[in-house]
Amino acid sequence: MTARWNRLLLLLILAVAPPRLASAQVHLQVLDPGSRSYPIAIAPLKNLDGGATKDVATKFADIVARDLTLSGFFKVLDRSAYIEKPETSGLTVEETNFDNWSVIGAAALVKGGFSLEGDNLVIEAKMFDVYQRKQLTGRRYRGSVDLVRRMAHRFADEIMQQFTGERGPFDSRITFLSNREGRFKEVYVMSLDGGDMQQVTKNNTINVSPSWSPDARQLLYTSYKRGNPDLYLLDPLTSRESRLSQKAGLNLGGKMSPDGSTIALSVENDGNTDIVLINRAGDLVRRATDNLSIEVSPSWSPDGHQFAFCSNRSGGPQIYVVGTEGGTARRVTTTGDYNTSPSWSPKGDRIAYVSRWESGFNIFTVKTDGTDVRQITQSSGNCEDPSWSPDGRYLVYSSTRGGKRKLWISDAQGISQVQLTTGNGDDSSPAWSRWLD
Amino acid sequence: MGKRWLSVGGLVLMVALFATGCPSKKGTKPGKDGGLGDEPVDSVGSLDATRKGGGPGSTKDGPLRDLAFGFDSYELDDAARASLREGAAWLKDNTKGRVEVEGHCDERGTVEYNLALGAKRARAAKDYLATLGVPNDRLSTISYGEELPLCTEHTDDCWARNRRDHFVLLGD
Repeated sequence: MTARWNRLLLLLILAVAPPRLASAQVHLQVLDPGSRSYPIAIAPLKNLDGGATKDVATKFADIVARDLTLSGFFKVLDRSAYIEKPETSGLTVEETNFDNWSVIGAAALVKGGFSLEGDNLVIEAKMFDVYQRKQLTGRRYRGSVDLVRRMAHRFADEIMQQFTGERGPFDSRITFLSNREGRFKEVYVMSLDGGDMQQVTKNNTINVSPSWSPDARQLLYTSYKRGNPDLYLLDPLTSRESRLSQKAGLNLGGKMSPDGSTIALSVENDGNTDIVLINRAGDLVRRATDNLSIEVSPSWSPDGHQFAFCSNRSGGPQIYVVGTEGGTARRVTTTGDYNTSPSWSPKGDRIAYVSRWESGFNIFTVKTDGTDVRQITQSSGNCEDPSWSPDGRYLVYSSTRGGKRKLWISDAQGISQVQLTTGNGDDSSPAWSRWLD
Repeated sequence: MGKRWLSVGGLVLMVALFATGCPSKKGTKPGKDGGLGDEPVDSVGSLDATRKGGGPGSTKDGPLRDLAFGFDSYELDDAARASLREGAAWLKDNTKGRVEVEGHCDERGTVEYNLALGAKRARAAKDYLATLGVPNDRLSTISYGEELPLCTEHTDDCWARNRRDHFVLLGD
């Protein structure tokens, strides 16, 4: 093993490698084993105070390790093989014995320390190149102790930045529906590690289509809790809520524009659904479609000038794009007779959607001009509800391939499929937030 | 389970008519021998929290039977139209109370699209009842999409049962 090999592999990853998944982690089911990824060791944090040891040390390392495994770019080496112990090692190049890391096959090393300053947790985390014996990046995070998850996700994103030139997607949240606690689908939110999963509605009735505000602080969702399917805007931290659209009939699939000023949703008028735009006070801005066919599921382009939606104006449901200022809608999908659930990539170049194919449902993506259709899932079960990661390199979706409907993550090429949620009940309709900052 | 639904539905319909002061006419079937029917109700397909009326308002023999639809279709077939003609005649004889038409879908396909499809199914029945002379102010619609299935098996038979318009009799 030489530095040249190391640089070569890094270059390879940067240049061509699609995300590949490393060998199995505890919660992860890997459908594409045997791929080669970048070997990295992630040591538990050193307790710099020597005071009472919190679970911070391993929690940080566990979350970084899981994120990097999810990314598909890394193979996280088993901690039990690590020779160097955090408590007897330092955090600098000089205080690190790199031979102890190269001998177990690590090409990169993550280590760091934590201390408590009053009520605040301070974490210093670094990544080293094991062969070149140099620091690649270092960050110091400060905040309340319960922010340890976010600090770990932030550092995973930083590692992704260093290795791929693009920030990772992990300092973000996912909202979804689940009936894990009862008969009805309620709205949940969680970090990518799932450890802080929180139920944010408990109304024992039908809830559908949760989505995030662009600042990832508020949720839009539709609920039948007052009889009619109305659109609500909820702050999950304060539980403050307002009802934004309450026209008799469906008020469905609300999505906030990238600048947060406007909400596109599907509103029913006596049996017929069209897309309308409203402001955050709930006032009508514009009727964006006017058709006797079904028009649902708006998804904004990242510049906010257009949105994709689903319409059956040509017979079966297909994906269309129209400008927010009006104009003629342009059909995007031309293959298959049942295409729904468009999700516009934050990179702007592709739209993910669900297509019915030989009685099964799978995730596809297509360029916004309708060319270059890619099949992302090839499942015996049904895969639905695609939503892009904030960096546009991954999709979260729901699938029944394991029996119950659960959330899964795929890379944008469809090479690896990793199960994200486990447990009771069905999980569906995931929506991935933007970054939390 | 089907039969259970029918007799309970009949009972609820009878109670609903009694409450609105209408005499029981053709099509209502209380418990056997006119006695009190008392049977367990399967919770699948009922939504206590959001239903404004009572339980199911239709029976197999009653005036407003469930209507069936094809996959991704909201077209009323001949059987549905015939059923709605009977329903309209019954509603003209029984002039009190309103009818809410619920549109439902099978589990296949997308939640939002199916909610919109259910709205179309409900509207199709409402429109036909209106053309048959039932006043518009006695008719309302709501779509439940694929959210309230009658059955949960992944079979053609179950999917066919779930693709339906369902009628609920409400008070004035």
